[in-house]
Amino acid sequence: MRLLTAVLRTIRNSRRLATGLIVLAVLILVALFSPLIVKAIGGGQDPIELAAYDKWQVPSPQHLLGTDQFGRDVLAMVVKALSVSLQIGAIAGVISTVAGVIVAFVAGYKGGWIDNVLSTFTGILLVIPTFPLLIALSAYAKNVSLFQVGVMISIFSWPFAAKTIRSQVLSLRTRPYVDLARVSKARDIEIIVTELLPNLLPFIGVGFASSALGAIFGLVGLEIIGLGPGGVIDLGQIIFNAIGTGALTLGAWPMFVVPIALLTLLFAALNMVNIGLEEVYNPRLRGVAGE
Amino acid sequence: MTAEAPPAVAVDKSQDSAPRTGVRAWLSRHPLAAYAIRRFGLYLVELWGALTIAFFFFRLMPGDPVQTLIQTLQQNYVYNAQASTELIARYRHEFGLDGNLLTQYLVYMQKLILHGDLGPSLINYPTPAQTVILRSLPWTIGLLGISAVMAWIFGVIIGAIAGWRRGKLGSAIATNLSIALSHVPYFFVALILVYVFAYSMGLLPARSAYDSNINPGISFAFIGSVLKYGLLPGLSIVIIGTFSWILSTRMLMIPILGEDYLVYAEAKGLKNSRILTRYALRNCYLPQITAFGISLGFIFNGNVLVEQLFNYPGLGTTLVTAIQQLDFNTILGVTDIAIFSVLTAVLLLDLLLPLLDPRVKYWK
Repeated sequence: MRLLTAVLRTIRNSRRLATGLIVLAVLILVALFSPLIVKAIGGGQDPIELAAYDKWQVPSPQHLLGTDQFGRDVLAMVVKALSVSLQIGAIAGVISTVAGVIVAFVAGYKGGWIDNVLSTFTGILLVIPTFPLLIALSAYAKNVSLFQVGVMISIFSWPFAAKTIRSQVLSLRTRPYVDLARVSKARDIEIIVTELLPNLLPFIGVGFASSALGAIFGLVGLEIIGLGPGGVIDLGQIIFNAIGTGALTLGAWPMFVVPIALLTLLFAALNMVNIGLEEVYNPRLRGVAGE
Repeated sequence: MTAEAPPAVAVDKSQDSAPRTGVRAWLSRHPLAAYAIRRFGLYLVELWGALTIAFFFFRLMPGDPVQTLIQTLQQNYVYNAQASTELIARYRHEFGLDGNLLTQYLVYMQKLILHGDLGPSLINYPTPAQTVILRSLPWTIGLLGISAVMAWIFGVIIGAIAGWRRGKLGSAIATNLSIALSHVPYFFVALILVYVFAYSMGLLPARSAYDSNINPGISFAFIGSVLKYGLLPGLSIVIIGTFSWILSTRMLMIPILGEDYLVYAEAKGLKNSRILTRYALRNCYLPQITAFGISLGFIFNGNVLVEQLFNYPGLGTTLVTAIQQLDFNTILGVTDIAIFSVLTAVLLLDLLLPLLDPRVKYWK
């Protein structure tokens, strides 16, 4: 309960954080209710089925965003694809945050040579261009499921989370209350869970938001060059479809514009949450950063 | 000490009269040299680590590359006989795939380091992969290098002004626009630019890097054509890049504004513009130089897709072509070149930093 009021107070103090969270919540709600929405659009039949309607219809009251080259309703596809894109963000975000937190705690808390090795490794992964590796991986791993793609993407996105959290662990480690816990013979794991973790939550939030962002970005990139997971439609695939079929020249602009607009909105919302959290919890930016 | 160039990396031990203490003493008298040597050592470790990760990453991937390779060769050269054992063995050797993983690794590294040899390519068999890559490298360096630097310059200047004049309408617009757009992938902007300027208005070309009717060479017509064709892909990188640099520069600028030396400069009666450029900006562009190096890998990632969209004959397009044909040597080669370029750029920037920033004193 006390945690909840603290969270609410934080949100109320930062307009940016609030805006980001509200946009994100709306998108997540749409994604959660996507089966119902798709059903409502279909009105009894499946609107995403091949040849459900006539091909290449322009936007009309029956099909708000028109239909694609297989006669599928674009609005229904976009709603379904949004939920897929959010799922990949959630899967990869959770995996890379967990991995990042573990690495950051081991490196930052233990220090010494373990920290050196882990930090150098994280640094290498941060600096080198990893997209070629990701493309290659998905080119070899054909017919993968959404979850597997999420795992693949998180291999390359955990360093971002790890780096943010490690620097915070380093500064928290030397605080008096941690020393107090240590002299009172608390075990390392106890100190980490009860003393460090609660203070790091906002930074873990930042890590999650940025890896989710990176993962959605990664999947869209894979889809653009035609290497996404089979059997599911995400927003990137609709864009890829629109480019591949020359949808623009056929007047089917919503197939191209709507996914891009939705993704831009999603990126903006995640970025607002990111920056909002940083502004609230970074004392050097607090106060002066507000508009 | 700012003007002193970092001396050569290898310390000549013979010139020291007292061996151990001599080197130590020399290093403590030349902190910049000590820093340069340490930094170069780290560079070598990082380079070796990254190349090794890339190598094992590709070799440990499932699937037999030789089978794929022979299939591709059969398709490409209408070679219909069943591949004999000797043939397979020969290809295995030629592509560096014989022996166990460790032998393969040693052979690959030896060839790479001693001869700069990446093995034969498959998309252009039997041209070596390094030749294929070197052909496309100038295009990527030209496109990416120029647009990344331009984005950095614009972003730092606008970001500094946005931080300086915070609370003003223009600053608020720039900041909020940056927050909304700084994480949008480059190719979104590229797609929109193509739609507006190439399809709708027909003003600019949307594919390739130069007019195929003009012979490549040093001529005004060719250079003009390259610039014209590079405008849209370059612009897409510059736009998004500028937004993300605006945001981070502004965040660096704001804490500086409260510093005493700015109040003092103002009290001295210096002009606002002079305080901004000489006092405030100098302190917030330096961390951005390091950040620029770190961001290069990320920019390269986005660039792969931009090149693919514009069919630009750079590394990204080569990479995607190679992946479509499962061309091992070329994929690994492109990755290696990208790793090498990015790490070297970061090294050079780090070595340059003490020359630009007198506060940085690199000794332990």
